Order: sequence, then C-alpha cells, then structure tokens
Amino acid sequence: MKDELDLLKKDWKSQEGSLPKMSYDDIYAMIHKKSSSIVKWILIICIAELIFWSFLNLLVPESALKIYEEFNIKTFLNITQYLHYGVVLFFIYLFYKNYKSISVVENTNMLMRKIIKTRKTVNYYVYYNILLYIILTVVVNIIMFSDTETLLKVMSPANLDIKNVTFINVLLIVQTISVLVVIGLLWLYYKLIYGILLKRLNKNYEELETLNI
Amino acid sequence: MNKELEHKFISEFQKNQNIVHKVCRIYTSNQDAHNDLFQEITIQLWKAYPKFRGDSKLSTWMYRIGLNTAITLYRKSKRTIKTQDFDAVLYRIESKEYDDTEEEQLKLMYSAIHQLSDIDKALIFLYLEDKNYKEISTTLGISEVNARVKMNRVKTRLKKILNP
Repeated sequence: MKDELDLLKKDWKSQEGSLPKMSYDDIYAMIHKKSSSIVKWILIICIAELIFWSFLNLLVPESALKIYEEFNIKTFLNITQYLHYGVVLFFIYLFYKNYKSISVVENTNMLMRKIIKTRKTVNYYVYYNILLYIILTVVVNIIMFSDTETLLKVMSPANLDIKNVTFINVLLIVQTISVLVVIGLLWLYYKLIYGILLKRLNKNYEELETLNI
Repeated sequence: MNKELEHKFISEFQKNQNIVHKVCRIYTSNQDAHNDLFQEITIQLWKAYPKFRGDSKLSTWMYRIGLNTAITLYRKSKRTIKTQDFDAVLYRIESKEYDDTEEEQLKLMYSAIHQLSDIDKALIFLYLEDKNYKEISTTLGISEVNARVKMNRVKTRLKKILNP
C-alpha cells in the first residue's frame, strides 16, 4: 500500500504543469456570475417560509371574525395574534443572527454546524406555526362545540334538511380531516425540501461528528 | 465593487489557481463538473476576499474555502452526477515516464478516490498536498488524533477498493 500511495503522490505532484490555466478575463467573468451555493438556496427558501406563514395569518376572512365574535373569543384571538407577532419577530432575529454567522472561512465542521443551525431555526418556526395552528383549532372547536346553540345559529343550516346532531357530527369530522390533511401536506413538503437540500450536508456533518465522539 | 480590490484579487488568484483546480480534480470526474465547481469556489473566494486580512497565508485560506465549498456549499448539478469518465491519467499520457502497469495502477487509484466520501476525499487531498496533521485538523475542525485515525481508515479503505 505504501508503494501505491507513494506512486499516487508522485503522480499528483507531477500534474502541476498539466492543470488548466484560467486567464485574467476568465476569472473576471467568473466573479461576476451568481453563486448557486446551498447557503443561498437556504436563505431564499427560509425567507419564503417566513413570508408564507406570516401571510397565512392575514388570510382569515371577515366572516370568520364575525363568527368568533358570537362566541366571545375575539379578544382571546386578538391577544394570541399579538403574542404571535412577537414570536415571529424573535424568530426573524434568530434567523438573521445565525445566517450572518455562517462564514466560508471557518473550519468545515463549524461551517456545517452553523448552516444546520440556521436551517433548524426555520424548522422550529414551522413547527411552532403548526403547533399554534393545532392548538388554536382545538381550543376554538372546543369552545364552539360546547355551545351548540350558537354554533347552529351562526352556521345556519336551516336551509339544509338534516338533523342538528348529524350536522354537528359532520362538521366535526370535516374539521378533523382538514387538520390531518394540512399536517400531512406540510410534513411531506418539509421532508422533500429538507431531504433534497441538506441530505449531503447532513451526511458529511454526521461523518465528522461521529469522529469527535 | 472596488475595482482596485477586484484587480488585486484576480491577479493573486490567477497565480494560485492550481489549488482550486486540484480541489476540483479530487471532487469531480469530468470537465463540465470541474468547471462548475471551479466557478463556485472562485465566487466564494471573491466574496470572502474583502475580509481576508493576510494573517494566514493566501494559499491556506484558499485551501480552506476551496474544500468548504466542495464539501458543504456546492450543489452538484444534475448532469454531472455519477459520470465515471475520470481521465486524470490521460492528462499526461504522453509523458513516457510511466510504464503501463503504473499507469493502470494510477487509473485504479484515482477511480478509487472518487468512490470515497466527501470527507475522506478531503483527507486524501490534504495528504497529497503534504499538509501536516495539525493543518488537517484545523481545516476540517477535528482533533489531531482524530485526523490521524481517520487518515489511517481512509488509507485502509483505499487499499480495500484497490485489492478487493
């Protein structure tokens, strides 16, 4: 083996003359092109996620707010909303801080750790949103379904020829299914994004980390 | 961007570009991929250049950014995945220094290197570039002892690929 490696090293050193040579103009053109590094992709995707989740909140229709008023939970929802904005700002700050700390000059291990940390900040943000969505859905539903009289009034199924009990059951099932579908879709989406973008990085990071144990 | 800085960077980079070509040679197996990675490393070097203070050697700094880009930042483009047409030996096939068996052996070695993991490639690369364990450990962010252990494992793995 020693011989083989020596041979390789000798050959490696003799290649200097045969390496390609980029001219001044080649290099000039290169540094004016755009990077397609993983960090750039992470930045784009993370910002898209931050915006997506923030806007999702603004999409609640006016009619829904009226329903909430009937149940006296508007104040509760308003307070939640303000708290939520605080949390969003905190996440944006964390993300920015982590993103800024990524430096290509750092050692490989540290660089990978920082990229993963930045990506994780956004993952936590998504988990937080999903959790908030589930908790709010459950709380609001418990309040609404415990006051079936008001529920039947605002949902006004008078024009539908079904029993009240059936109506409430259907409503409950529809709610449950939609929550599950939303969670399923999100899970799939993040598995895909996370998998495609960070698979190699995670693998390399693990390889270095298992060494350090 | 500052024209003066740009000119200084290009001139210095041009003189040291071999480092980047060699990183590309370890991590890619055809000319397209080589150029692609070369470009990404060049961009990363340029982006980091304004912060380069000169407290380390320019070459050390280039090794680090080159490897970091190849291992961590670079996203392989689809067309370059899994091509086995590595022709390192062909580059200097004209030079008559090598006899056929040596040439065959080298071909095997280079294709064995391309089967290694990204981290193992970095170790072999730094070994071929005569870097000591201290430098290897600070570049990759592992301890010197671990660098040694890992290096021995890589050599064993290479041996296994060569003599199955």
